[in-house]
Amino acid sequence: MNANTHLSGNRLGDPALATAGRIPALLRARINRQTACSMVTCVHCGECAQSCHYALARPHDPFMSPAYKADQIRKIFNRHLDWLGRVFPRWVGAGGKTEETDLSRLKDIVFGTCSGCRRCTFNCPMGVDNAALIRLARGILMEVGVVPQGMSNVCRNQWEMGNQMRVTEEDFIDSLSWVRDEVQYELGVNDVEIGVDKEDCDFIYAVNPREVKYDPRSLINAAKFFYLAGESWTLPRHGWDQTNFGLFSGDDRLGAFMAGNLYQAAARLRAKRIVVSECGHGYRSVRWEGYNWAKHNQTIPTESVIETIIRYLREGMIKVDRSRYRASVTFHDSCNVARYSGLVEEPRWILKQICSDFREMHPNGMNNFCCTGGSGLLVMPEYRDIRLEVAKIKAEQLKTTGADVVCTMCHNCRDGLGDLISHYQLDMKVVQIMDLVAGALILPEKQGS
Amino acid sequence: MNEFLGIIQHKLHMAVLAFMGIAYVLRIIWLLNFSAARERTLPAGQPAGVVVSSLLAVAKPWTREGSNRNPVFYVQFVLFHLGAAAAISLTYFIPYRPELLKYGLFMRTLQITLGAAFVVGLLRLYRRLAEPSLRMISTPDDYFALIMMTAFYAAALGAISVNSLMMGNGPLWAFFLMAAFFHFYVPFSKIIHYLYYPFTRYYLGKTMGHRNIGNGKISGLS
Ligand code: SF4
Ligand code: SF4
Repeated sequence: MNANTHLSGNRLGDPALATAGRIPALLRARINRQTACSMVTCVHCGECAQSCHYALARPHDPFMSPAYKADQIRKIFNRHLDWLGRVFPRWVGAGGKTEETDLSRLKDIVFGTCSGCRRCTFNCPMGVDNAALIRLARGILMEVGVVPQGMSNVCRNQWEMGNQMRVTEEDFIDSLSWVRDEVQYELGVNDVEIGVDKEDCDFIYAVNPREVKYDPRSLINAAKFFYLAGESWTLPRHGWDQTNFGLFSGDDRLGAFMAGNLYQAAARLRAKRIVVSECGHGYRSVRWEGYNWAKHNQTIPTESVIETIIRYLREGMIKVDRSRYRASVTFHDSCNVARYSGLVEEPRWILKQICSDFREMHPNGMNNFCCTGGSGLLVMPEYRDIRLEVAKIKAEQLKTTGADVVCTMCHNCRDGLGDLISHYQLDMKVVQIMDLVAGALILPEKQGS
Repeated sequence: MNEFLGIIQHKLHMAVLAFMGIAYVLRIIWLLNFSAARERTLPAGQPAGVVVSSLLAVAKPWTREGSNRNPVFYVQFVLFHLGAAAAISLTYFIPYRPELLKYGLFMRTLQITLGAAFVVGLLRLYRRLAEPSLRMISTPDDYFALIMMTAFYAAALGAISVNSLMMGNGPLWAFFLMAAFFHFYVPFSKIIHYLYYPFTRYYLGKTMGHRNIGNGKISGLS
């Protein structure tokens, strides 16, 4: 046996092993008491499998159970952080040596078979947050560079450009002037202002880059409502992207960077509040997780534009005509909005003002099923087949409502639902709340009549 | 013989209980050594009520899809845990309050509970072995803890049911030796989950309450 064979026999110097060997230290640095509780409390009862759309759609596939997915990181915790697992690793399922962990397989499990919807968390009798454990595993893989390409690309865009679609400052300003012209044209006025970096406004508005780059309709609608309500508002020149791939990738530093950009802009411009456009994960990141990631104590209110619209409607700052919208409408609750952020009644309150035929889908609210495109799955095409396969649960749910339109308050859900609707050939259109409000809006000259 | 039984019932029992208590304290200290994530956001709701509701979640099967789909599993869960309570309480009743066991109704209730828990234990074992998704996540400890609990119920049932004239103190010996082993093993097994449950549920409930999740009201506007 020569020296080389000996080395390869021991697999010394194998970069994959070196990478896996870093995992325990990374886990130790990231774990907190809340996640440690979820690590130790699971009793392997299997009840969570009854709530996960992956497990429900593939009942004969044992790899789809949420507990199995969370166990992949729990094993490493047991082996390295729990003294019992250190002494008797096999007995408590701590598995083999962490250095021999198949990282590529782990990546496919935590990125490819979980949409982070947290349905399993609320259906676990013990309160185990499997979704948090899976996100923790994602963050560790991110750190060692074992990540789906699409996820890595978007994260890089956010680090480099401050937004996920590589929109340059010139393009951003150009798009905003185009949006202003469009709003002026639609309202027949010439004094619409879309401010950038204006100081002392009532609120700073943060958007999803697709509103700037591909689909300005929701920004146009928002600008229209703000104009009619007489708001003083601004977009920041830096920090306008409310989306946050730190949430999906599990990278809290990216999360802190993206959310921190917006908080700093709000402080710099002395805004009195932060308003986030219709986006599930963006809202969750800005309203909740971002403050904690960025270690920034929240001092000003932070709300979804849906809450802003409720205020306008309640105070008569904008008016809508309920009879205008005749199509039957159902509502899809975004997981990040309902299960993570508690906004369930808010979108329904608006829909009831503007739709004459509103139908709940079942289950709904906190129990709703994911659009199946959550947690960044839409940027990871390698998992598209399984995503669309398990989307049959959602497709069935949509079909049962018999509605013409499914409304949501999330750009990501809009794409996820659109994808499954075309895959399952459902006769249904996807819209967002702002689209419906805009359609029902009574323009000023008609308000007196 | 009786002297040894007395030692097992009293001294050994106290020793393993003390061991278990110390192990529990160490486990809690270990868990609390992980620093808790700090909440920096302004609240949208009140956590107190939601924390209580979260702690009571185990008694609210209608809030969980798994229990709704399979109510039989929930019934099994209740019987299994009532069996645990009955068996553990016997380690106290037999040596310290034996007169209670002379009440027919009390005795029958204990026997039925332990018998039902034993049957449920066997059903759970069968399910764990037969269902691929459960088999996939099961560790040796999961099997051993389940087998041990089921055998413990059988031993408890034996201790209060078998005619002592025919078998002498054998069933009592078996029961108290198992109880001693059980108390010794619990801190090292998944059976310790009830110690962690309040912590896990507290933190989940706190986050939910803070974010107004599941409240059914429009936060700050109504
Ligand atoms: S996560 Fe909860 S529901 Fe799932 S196996 Fe563990 S304890 Fe049971
Ligand atoms: S978070 Fe959602 S997708 Fe992920 S395991 Fe849980 S139920 Fe399944």
